[in-house]
Amino acid sequence: MLSRNFRASAIHAVSILACALLLAGTLACTHSTSSQQSPEGPVRRELTDDAGRRVSVPVPTNRVISLAPNLTEIVFAIGAGDRLVGRTTYCDFPAEAKAVAAVGDTLQPSLERIISLQPQVVLISTSSQLEVFTKQLQNQNIAVFVTDPRDLDGVFRSIEQIGLILGHTQQAEQLIQNLRDRTRAVEEAVKGRPPVRVFYQLSAEPLYTAGHDAFVTDLMRRAGAMSVTADVPGAWPKYSNESALAAQPEAIILPTGGSMGAANSTVTEALAKSSAARQGRVYKINDDHLTRPGPRSVDGLEAMARALHPEAFKQ
Amino acid sequence: MSITASGFVNSTSRQNRVTLRKTLISCLALFAALLLSIVLMSLIGSEALPVRDSLCALATFGASSCGLSQDQFDILFQIRLPRILLAAAVGGSLATAGAGYQALLRNPLAEPYLLGISNGAAVGTMIALVFFGTNEWTRPLLAFTGALVATLAVYRLARGRAGATPERLILAGVIVTTFLSSVIVFVTTLMDATRIRSFTFWLLGDLSGSSKTLLPVAITIAVAGTLALTLNARSLNLLMLGERDAFDLGVEVGRVRVVVFVVASLLVGSSVAASGSVGYVGLVVPHLARLSLGSDNRISIPAAALLGALFVIVADTIARTIIAPRELPVGAITALIGAPLFIYLLKRA
Repeated sequence: MLSRNFRASAIHAVSILACALLLAGTLACTHSTSSQQSPEGPVRRELTDDAGRRVSVPVPTNRVISLAPNLTEIVFAIGAGDRLVGRTTYCDFPAEAKAVAAVGDTLQPSLERIISLQPQVVLISTSSQLEVFTKQLQNQNIAVFVTDPRDLDGVFRSIEQIGLILGHTQQAEQLIQNLRDRTRAVEEAVKGRPPVRVFYQLSAEPLYTAGHDAFVTDLMRRAGAMSVTADVPGAWPKYSNESALAAQPEAIILPTGGSMGAANSTVTEALAKSSAARQGRVYKINDDHLTRPGPRSVDGLEAMARALHPEAFKQ
Repeated sequence: MSITASGFVNSTSRQNRVTLRKTLISCLALFAALLLSIVLMSLIGSEALPVRDSLCALATFGASSCGLSQDQFDILFQIRLPRILLAAAVGGSLATAGAGYQALLRNPLAEPYLLGISNGAAVGTMIALVFFGTNEWTRPLLAFTGALVATLAVYRLARGRAGATPERLILAGVIVTTFLSSVIVFVTTLMDATRIRSFTFWLLGDLSGSSKTLLPVAITIAVAGTLALTLNARSLNLLMLGERDAFDLGVEVGRVRVVVFVVASLLVGSSVAASGSVGYVGLVVPHLARLSLGSDNRISIPAAALLGALFVIVADTIARTIIAPRELPVGAITALIGAPLFIYLLKRA
């Protein structure tokens, strides 16, 4: 077993090295991998996904389906868009993605169409319907891999894992390096500046915001903001109008203009007279950059930091 | 609820006077309780406000801030009070509509939610939201249309050769409800993904979006609708004996039916447009009113309106504070309180 592992590691020396470099410390532990070269089939590799499951995937995977827009963006960003044989109706970026066959939406994909597209791996971001779904796909010899980034580090991990599955480790590494550099630049710029107290308005009527578990809460923190709802349990809680006003946010962020279109482009009635609104500190930021944990999240990070700390970015 | 024929037919003028006095006394008592609950519940919320200053500001109707900060004043008068008033309007409307349907259809289970009439109003509101998003006035208008169409559909379906038996009516309600639920699921699936979440919450009944445009509409319709049905209470009393008997006693059955259908649809439409489908109010509250004050509609309809307002105000206070600063849909609370209460009332009656 040991020697077999060793041999496989030699074959994948480059990828393992890249992986080890990127996954310093604890992260590496979650990625205990073992590869097996079966005599007749392709190389398979066992990876631990974000649901804690050990998933055996062919390396490299040539036919993959993504069931979330952020995962589709990652596949294209590492230059593996040609491997994508299926996507959801929400996957509208990059433009090339729209040419790929749609298999339904994230919560209601068509199992029949997925199977008929003959993927080797299906990437999903939610484990809510996992059980039935996985069982049926496994019967068809299709691996289901959950990747559900909760923060920016999670995004980097997802990129790295998808790179590993699709055999694009180098491009993945470059992308992560680039995103890390830009993230660090933002964090450097806002460092030492007092964090701006922000209210994140996901929708106005009824009022929804970003809670403790939301991806964007981490993004706001990195952008030099402090979400006034950062400690509220859950990812997207329905929030009290009066608590939003009483929190006295200094700025309000409206995710809008992307997939949302013109929706959510005005401040909720309860906050219309808040000091943030009166002073014009209401910032509309492309919702796709804030709500899809993917490569463009760093665009959202930069946009928020520039809006909240304009003086930090004066050249 | 059993309705004895003698109670209505043999009512002499002397008994009438007693009824009028009884009506006035009980309605005044309930109205006082309603006012008290409006004041008390506006002191409770996810944010704590100084009680003395808030009471002082409320006593001056907002003319003086009584030492409340600007934010506290806005919380009290811009957020909390409008929401409580909307809860009162919605509760009053739904309870009155329920009492009206129950009397006209001679069926203790007739209720806007169970008969699919709320769903009809919800479909109307959805159409308004999708096609006339910014124009808030279209919402109650189309909700009213939806409620009226659903009412007529249920009534037509329920009417067999033997008239509308209670069982037939409920079955017709189930059919209309499930059909319209499918329509709602169909439209939400087609709708923008980002709007589905807020919409499903709204469907369960949500008072947080108390819009400044719809609040006066909801209050006006609640008051006018209750008055209209109360004025027809005498005819409704006679109708509870059966349509033929009522007709023989000089009731214009057709006219009363049209009045109840239109008024109840208006009541349901305006409350659904403002707050989604809040269930159980139209069922539990009229029963409570009849059990405590008797089944004479002249007293039970206005009493149901006031009790309904009280019930939804309390339910919504729970909904907005129990997991504060997060919120629950008020429909979940009315159902949680309403279902056990209804079972208790049935067992007792």
